[in-house]
Amino acid sequence: MKKELKLKVNGQPYDIFVKPKTLLVEALRDHLALTGTKRGCNSSSCGACTIMLNGMAVKSCSILALQANGAEIVTIEGLAKGTELSPLQKAFLDHGSYQCGFCTAGMLMATTALLTENPKPTKQEIKEGIDGNICRCTGYNSIIRAVTAVVKGEYKEAK
Amino acid sequence: MSEYSVIGKRVHRVDGPEKVTGSAKYTFDLVLPSMLYGKVLRSPHPHAKILKIDTRKAKRLVGVKAVVTGKDTLGRKQGIWRRFPELCDEEILCREKVRYIGDPVAAVAAIDEDTAEEALDLIDVEYEPLPAVFDPLEAIKEDAPQVHDGVELNININRHIEWGDVDEAFKKCDHIREDQFKCSSQAHVCMETHDAVVSYDYGGKMTVWTSTQSSYYIQRLMADMTGLREGDIRVIKPPTGGGFGSKFELDSAQFCAAILSMKLCKPVKIVLSREEEFTATKRRTPMYYFLKLGAKKDGTLLAKEARVITEGGAYTAMGATALYLTGFFSSFPYKYPNYRYDGYRVYTNTAVTSAMRGFGAPQSTFVGESQLDMMAEDLGIDPIEIRRKNGMTPNYEVPGQAFIQSCGLHQCLDKIEEHVKERGKLPPNHGIGVSAYGFMSGGIFNWFDTPYAFSAAVVRINIDGKVDLFTGACDIGQGSDTTLSMICAEELGVRLEDIRIHAADTGICPPDLGAWGSRETLMNGNAVKMAAADCKRQLLEFAAAKMAPNIVYDFEIKDRWVHLVDRPERGVSYFDIVKGAIRGKDGNAIMGRGHYTPHRKGMISPAYSFGVQAAEVAVDTETGRYKLLNVTTAHESGTVINPVGIEGQLEGAIMMAGGYGFCEDQPMDEGKILNPSIADYKLIRSLDMPETDILEIDTYEPEGPFGAKEAGEGLTNPTAGAIGNAVYKAVGVRINDLPITPEKVLKALKEKEKKKK
Amino acid sequence: MSYHCPVCNKVSSSALDLARHMIGRGDKVHRDWIKSKGFKYSELLTLQFKSFGGEGYRALSEVLEKETKVED
Repeated sequence: MKKELKLKVNGQPYDIFVKPKTLLVEALRDHLALTGTKRGCNSSSCGACTIMLNGMAVKSCSILALQANGAEIVTIEGLAKGTELSPLQKAFLDHGSYQCGFCTAGMLMATTALLTENPKPTKQEIKEGIDGNICRCTGYNSIIRAVTAVVKGEYKEAK
Repeated sequence: MSEYSVIGKRVHRVDGPEKVTGSAKYTFDLVLPSMLYGKVLRSPHPHAKILKIDTRKAKRLVGVKAVVTGKDTLGRKQGIWRRFPELCDEEILCREKVRYIGDPVAAVAAIDEDTAEEALDLIDVEYEPLPAVFDPLEAIKEDAPQVHDGVELNININRHIEWGDVDEAFKKCDHIREDQFKCSSQAHVCMETHDAVVSYDYGGKMTVWTSTQSSYYIQRLMADMTGLREGDIRVIKPPTGGGFGSKFELDSAQFCAAILSMKLCKPVKIVLSREEEFTATKRRTPMYYFLKLGAKKDGTLLAKEARVITEGGAYTAMGATALYLTGFFSSFPYKYPNYRYDGYRVYTNTAVTSAMRGFGAPQSTFVGESQLDMMAEDLGIDPIEIRRKNGMTPNYEVPGQAFIQSCGLHQCLDKIEEHVKERGKLPPNHGIGVSAYGFMSGGIFNWFDTPYAFSAAVVRINIDGKVDLFTGACDIGQGSDTTLSMICAEELGVRLEDIRIHAADTGICPPDLGAWGSRETLMNGNAVKMAAADCKRQLLEFAAAKMAPNIVYDFEIKDRWVHLVDRPERGVSYFDIVKGAIRGKDGNAIMGRGHYTPHRKGMISPAYSFGVQAAEVAVDTETGRYKLLNVTTAHESGTVINPVGIEGQLEGAIMMAGGYGFCEDQPMDEGKILNPSIADYKLIRSLDMPETDILEIDTYEPEGPFGAKEAGEGLTNPTAGAIGNAVYKAVGVRINDLPITPEKVLKALKEKEKKKK
Repeated sequence: MSYHCPVCNKVSSSALDLARHMIGRGDKVHRDWIKSKGFKYSELLTLQFKSFGGEGYRALSEVLEKETKVED
């Protein structure tokens, strides 16, 4: 028996019907066709599905879609303003902070949430901010360098 | 040599924008009209006869469109060592016997994943469990259960490498050591699990979208198994979420989706769950290593003998290659005048062991570098000094095996020695361990039995000067799309943004063996360079006709400027030359072809990269826990084409290789992997990742494009050995079996205390 | 002087190298030839991996030295 789910994703309101057991990541990917958010495990341990829910970094596989009823969600698709990439996205490009790219959406959402909450984190705080995200390709240090560059003010926000 | 315009520059990867915006579409994301979802039923037994499979209830479930078993296949066996039929031993969908927990027995296609999952529970399989064997040292006994009929002692393959006279040489040694080691398994943990969408149409043609390291291998193996013509199968590789050696063999997601699709003439998608990924895909080969090393008292190594027994798992897969390479790289990177290796790959009723980044060399480097440090200590010689004394040099021949052209090992040793000196006196329970390696840039072997060149490329120049590059090379995250585009742009004399790469689609690209053995930069790079040179030659023909300079002048193209080498101010824009050249060819786009297959390059590889790594650890003697503080690597990979790419490969390799030494493991009980989830499989996360420093050494490899050779796999070799040596330096305990866990360190410390008393 | 494999005619430079080829190839036809000379394939392998030293290969190479040598 499907239930109604109302939520805002990347500034756009959606009104859909989902089964009660549908996870938020499934609602985003399968119902709203926002496939930028990935899924890498069944134990809420890898972080590939990280999104921002009401300003906080959340693993979207760890909550039911209906639990997000009425929430404001930002996914990877919502970071750029039009064609202008966010400072973190630009920094990732410059620092090669991605290789296969499968963890990248989760990493960008985790780091975006981190800087939203704490605009001047220390290196240790940056490491803690992405401790829930596994990357098998980069060894994390290029991601930390990219975030550090943004913290230092090397990138401007799009207007 | 003139400065390069493209290669060596720090650039954005060509697939960057789509990856940082979430717009890259992986196989994982692919949805097609009328697509069905598939799931695979797997054996719960490590060894059993299949007596009966009853699929009737499953077929009747609403929403289920097809259920298939081994009876729906041609009953063929496949394996990647196609030239040796006895090594093609894997049916994928088992017909009579299952040989490991996870061996596929049936597959379902349904309207959604939940229905497919439900249908699996409705399939009744009657098994007759058979005695099983899990440890290769047990499986190699006369009375052990036979995993495959007719294979004596379960010895799947044996390999022997020998030169000189090891027995005589040991008699002349001043000091001999014999040591035993155990190297563990390791899971690839690609972020994107194995997945495939297969669409078989009413015209009898099949299209496969899959996360793969070799679209050509999948095409050929799929043809072998389905009976379709190779040319009637098109394999497309979308952006792929990691490979690391797990994705260039035909897997259950691809094959089961194909069989289902052929039954239904509808697209079928199968995505392996993370648990299936851990239990039912291939993994790093665990090895029992027995090493004997002999030296003179001044540290000259005279003889080395290695005996290795590897846990093969249920099928051959790429195990034969890992077996050979571990034996070959056990002789690296030192000059042994006498050497003997005997390797045995033994079938067991466990998940198949195959290729994983490093391919037997992380194991051989861990054991070899550990033993060498022990030998150095016995002789009272500095660990860097003993490596320097015996290290390979340029133009060295490994007797009967390989010819090493460029080799920067000694410069790497110098740099690491400097680094260790600079660190000075360390706090208590801190230690720095050193480890050296050498690795191949792709293999010369053709056990796949392909008639094609190992790498090939086609370059097409269009009227607006934009270049299309077609190649079979597979970018699995290592950045080959970018590196090859850079090589193409450099050779042709244009900018990176002028190149558009189309890769790994067997329908439009020439075949390439794929991304394994660290071969793409050297082998595919050579093919791309040749194709670009072909186009350049055609353009310069026209330029020469148009400009008609004195015959003594040479032409070149650099940064879109076609000019005389000696008079660079005399030239014409590349764009104008292109327009004219196309007109001159009756309106045909300029096309160039290139290929590369190593010929007469020894038994292993056309080129080798070398490096030395120093790992610094801090051990807590109360708990045995230790922190990886810093890993500094001095390495050489010939000319650096893509510096951002190489740094990424190095840091990523440290995470993976460090994990191999530090924490990654797949403990098993009666053939069942006990930690098949990311929650339980420990790997290095951001908080455990050490600081990484890179010291580049300049070398030039004549065999490689612009002098380049491999980087991605070699760097996975040294870290486990460096960690082992560092722990010993820190607290004086030697752990000979991987991973080096806090429990093992603590136990060893306690034993050391007991011995003191 | 060279040594020709009696099964597949591969040419080796020494009897020991030929033994390595025959044992390593391990397919039925090579094993059958080895068996016909009175060896048990699994015993040769066992000799080889049980200890350091090359007894398994040496035993076979002695037979190959006599039977497969070809004077050039």
